[in-house]
Amino acid sequence: MFKHITNTSYRLIVAELIKELEQRLRSGGMSSWPEDVFNSLALEAFAEQFHSIVPYRRFCEGRGTTPSSVHRWTEVPAVPTTAFKFIDLVAEKAEVVFRTSGTSLGKQRRGRHLVRSLALYRASLVPPFRKYVMADTERIRVLSLIPPPRAVPDSSLSYMVEVVVDQFATESHWLVGARGELDRTMVRSLMRTVSDAGEPVLIVGTALSFLHLIDLLKEGVHPPLPIGSRIMETGGFKSSSRQTTRDELRQRLFDVTGIPTDRVVNEYGMTELLSQMYEPVLKEGPEAAGTHVAPPWLRVRALDPLTLEGLPPGEEGLLAFFDLANVGSICHILTEDVGSVIEGRVQLVGRVLGAEPRGCSRAMDELMSAANTP
Amino acid sequence: MLRSFEGFALPKGVSLPLDARSLHLDADVRLCVPDLTELWISELADRLLATRRDLLARTPSEIAAILGRAGECFLERGNLFRLEALELLPSTSGLSPQMARAVLDGMATDWTEDRLSLLLHKELVDPEVLNGFLLRGGREVMAVGPKLTVQVVAGTVPGVSVNALIRSLLVRSPTLLKPGRGDCVLPVLFARALREVDPALADALAVVYWDGRNDSVVDLALEKAEVVTVYGSDETVGDLRNRTPVTARFISYHHRISVGVVGRDAYADAEVDQVADAVARSIGFFDQRGCVSPQVVFTEKGGACSPKAFAQALAAAFERLEVVLPGGHLQVHESSTLHQIRGTAEMMHNRASIEVLHGGDASWTVIYQAEVGPMVSSVGRVIRVCSIEDASELPVFLAPHGPHLQTVGVIGLGARLRDLSRELAHAGVSRVSPFSSVPFPPPWWHHDGGGPLLDLVRWVDLESS
Repeated sequence: MFKHITNTSYRLIVAELIKELEQRLRSGGMSSWPEDVFNSLALEAFAEQFHSIVPYRRFCEGRGTTPSSVHRWTEVPAVPTTAFKFIDLVAEKAEVVFRTSGTSLGKQRRGRHLVRSLALYRASLVPPFRKYVMADTERIRVLSLIPPPRAVPDSSLSYMVEVVVDQFATESHWLVGARGELDRTMVRSLMRTVSDAGEPVLIVGTALSFLHLIDLLKEGVHPPLPIGSRIMETGGFKSSSRQTTRDELRQRLFDVTGIPTDRVVNEYGMTELLSQMYEPVLKEGPEAAGTHVAPPWLRVRALDPLTLEGLPPGEEGLLAFFDLANVGSICHILTEDVGSVIEGRVQLVGRVLGAEPRGCSRAMDELMSAANTP
Repeated sequence: MLRSFEGFALPKGVSLPLDARSLHLDADVRLCVPDLTELWISELADRLLATRRDLLARTPSEIAAILGRAGECFLERGNLFRLEALELLPSTSGLSPQMARAVLDGMATDWTEDRLSLLLHKELVDPEVLNGFLLRGGREVMAVGPKLTVQVVAGTVPGVSVNALIRSLLVRSPTLLKPGRGDCVLPVLFARALREVDPALADALAVVYWDGRNDSVVDLALEKAEVVTVYGSDETVGDLRNRTPVTARFISYHHRISVGVVGRDAYADAEVDQVADAVARSIGFFDQRGCVSPQVVFTEKGGACSPKAFAQALAAAFERLEVVLPGGHLQVHESSTLHQIRGTAEMMHNRASIEVLHGGDASWTVIYQAEVGPMVSSVGRVIRVCSIEDASELPVFLAPHGPHLQTVGVIGLGARLRDLSRELAHAGVSRVSPFSSVPFPPPWWHHDGGGPLLDLVRWVDLESS
C-alpha cells in the first residue's frame, strides 16, 4: 500500500508525525507509552524512512523486509552506527549536521547524524532532563564544561547544553573553549562567587573535562559548592589515556566541590541517537547508580552478539535502540555498546568500540580511503 | 572441565617470585601467569646470560638438530606434546579445532632438523661463520649471535613465538621470550619438549608471559638485551622501541597489510572454483589474523570470469572452507565489528555497486566493490573483492601504505608477474607469493624485508695488514 503514496504525501506524513511526537513529548510525554502506541508510531516512522531514505530501503529490501512485512518495531532492520560514517541518512534537507567526536582510534572517520527537525530534538531532550537532573528544582545556575555551540556547531552535546541553559538556567557560564581548554581564571573566580552566593549550581561536562576541573581545583582550597548542587556527567574516557573508574571520579569530584557522589547523574547518549538516558539517582537514590532509564519514546534491547536475536532480561549483549526522536533519520540503531536491559533500564557494561585487528595485521580502512583519493 | 596451564617455562632451578595469578582464556582454560618483580626478571636475565658459554661450545648445526628433535614432537601422531597442543590451542587461540590442527601442522613442518639446517645455510651460507672467521668476498668475517635476545611476540597467530625463539637459539643466543596471550601454549610446550631432548640447551631459554603493562619489568628485561625483537601493533612496537636502550639492536615486526591479485589469466589452467578455493584458503587461514593474510583481493577485468562472478565464487569457496577449516569463536567485540561491517556494507550497496555475501553465523563475508572505495576495518574472515582494470594500477594504489605492506598473493598474471613484482617491491611490498603458499612462508623468508638470522647477528671483520 505504501508505494501508492506520493512523495508529497509522505512529506506531510513526516511533518504530521513530527508534530504528533512533539505534542506528545511536550504534554507529559514522560509517563509511560503503551506498547501499541509506541509500536504504531514506530511502524509509521519506519515506513517513512523506508520510503524516503534510499540506502536504507535497499538495505531493508536486501534483508527481505518492507513496511508491509513488519508488524512489530523489533522486526525493523537496525542500522549499525558505523554506517553513519559513510552514508548520509536523512530523508530530506537537514536542519543541522551533528558529528561524532574523534574516538580512541584517532584518525578514524567521524559519524554524521543529519538532523531534520531541531524542534523535535529540543522537545525530546527537555522532559527527561527535567525529570532526572532537575527533579527537585525549577531553575538553577549552570556551569558548562562543554564548549558552547558557537565554538563547535556540529556537536549535539553542545547544542543540548544550550537548550538546557535556555530552559533551566538562572545564569550560565561556559568554561571551556572549542578545543576543550578550561578557562582557569574564570573557574577560580567563579568557584568563589558561586559559593558566596549560596545558590545551588549544576555543572555539566564530560568525564574527561571533569578530570581537568579536578586537577585545577586541587591546586587551591575552595569552599564546597552550595547544598543542592549537582553534576551531569556524560561520556567515558574514550580519547584519553587517563583511566578512572566512575566511582573514583565521583569521589574526587566530591573532594574538590563538596557535591555528594549520589548527586552526580550520568547521561548516556550518542550522536546517532537524539534521545538520552539518565541514571535516576536524584529521584531514586544511590541504589539507582549504574542503571540508565530511557524515556518512553526510546526502546532499548540487548541482542545476542552473534545472532542479533533479542536476549532475555538481564543478559548481556549488544545494545540496539529504537528512538522515535530519530524520526527524521533512522530510528532503529545497532550500537557497539554492551549491556543488559531489565524493564527498559540499561545496565551498561561498556563500549566495544574498535575491535581493532589483532596483532600485526592492519585495518584496511585507511588503505581503501587512500586508494580512492587520486 | 576447567584446565590450568602454566604460561611459563623457565631454566632449571629458577622458581617463581610470587604466587601465580590466573587469567581465564576461555571457559575451560585457565592460564597461570606469575606476578613478576624487577629483581626476579633481572636475575632471570643474568641466569640466561650465563648460559651463553655452553651455547658457544656447540656448533650451530648441532643446535639445529636438537631444536629439530624438539620440533618434530609436534608433528608425530600420538606424541604427548602434540596432543596437549591440540587440546589447548582452540580455547587459548580462539581458532576452531580443525584450524588449530592445520596451523600446528603448517608451523611445525618448519621446526624439523632438515628445515632448520636449510635455514642456517640459506642465511649464513656456511654456518661455521658463527664459529670463527671465514673468507668471504675477499675479506675475513665472523658472525656473532646476541649475548641475550629478548623477544616480545604478539598473540595473534599461534606458533609465531616458536619461530621467533628458534631463530635466536640457532644463532646461539640465550633467549627470553614473552609470548602474546593467544600464543602461550606452543612456546611453553616447545620449551618443555626441548628440556626432554637436551636440558642444557633448554636452560638457555625462558618463556614467560606477563602483563604487558608491567613497565618496570619490561624495562629491566630490555636493559639486559643485546637484541630486542618485537611483534605487534604499531603502538606496542613504538612503545617498546622508545624504551629499548640505544645500545641494543631493535628489530620490529609492526602492523602489516597483505593483499591478493587475481589476474585475468587465472582461469586459463584452472577452474574458477579451484582459483577461488586457493584464494579463500589463503584468507581464511589463521582466521585472517596473520600479517600474511590478504585483506583485499584485487581482481582484474577481462578474464574468463568477471570480478563480480569471482566474488560469488569466492563466497562459495568460503562456504566449502567452513566445512573443513571452520572459523573460530568470535569474541563479543569481534561479533560486534562483524555486524557493523556487514550492515554498513549493505547500506552502501547501491552507492558504490557493492554486493555483500556472507555466511550468517559463520564469520566469512565477501564484499564486492566495483571500484576501490572507503570501507570499514576487518575482523573474522572478511574480504573485499575490488575490481580493477589492470594489475599495473596496483603499485600506485598501494604505495601510500608502503611502510605497512607485506605479502601480495598472486595468480593469473602470467609473464607480467616479474615486472609487476618489481614495481610492487618499490611500493613497499616484501613478498610476492602464489596464493597457495601465502599462509606459510618458508623459514628463510625475508620477514618484513630482513633476514631472519642475518638481522640477529653482529658481523666482525678481521682485517689483514
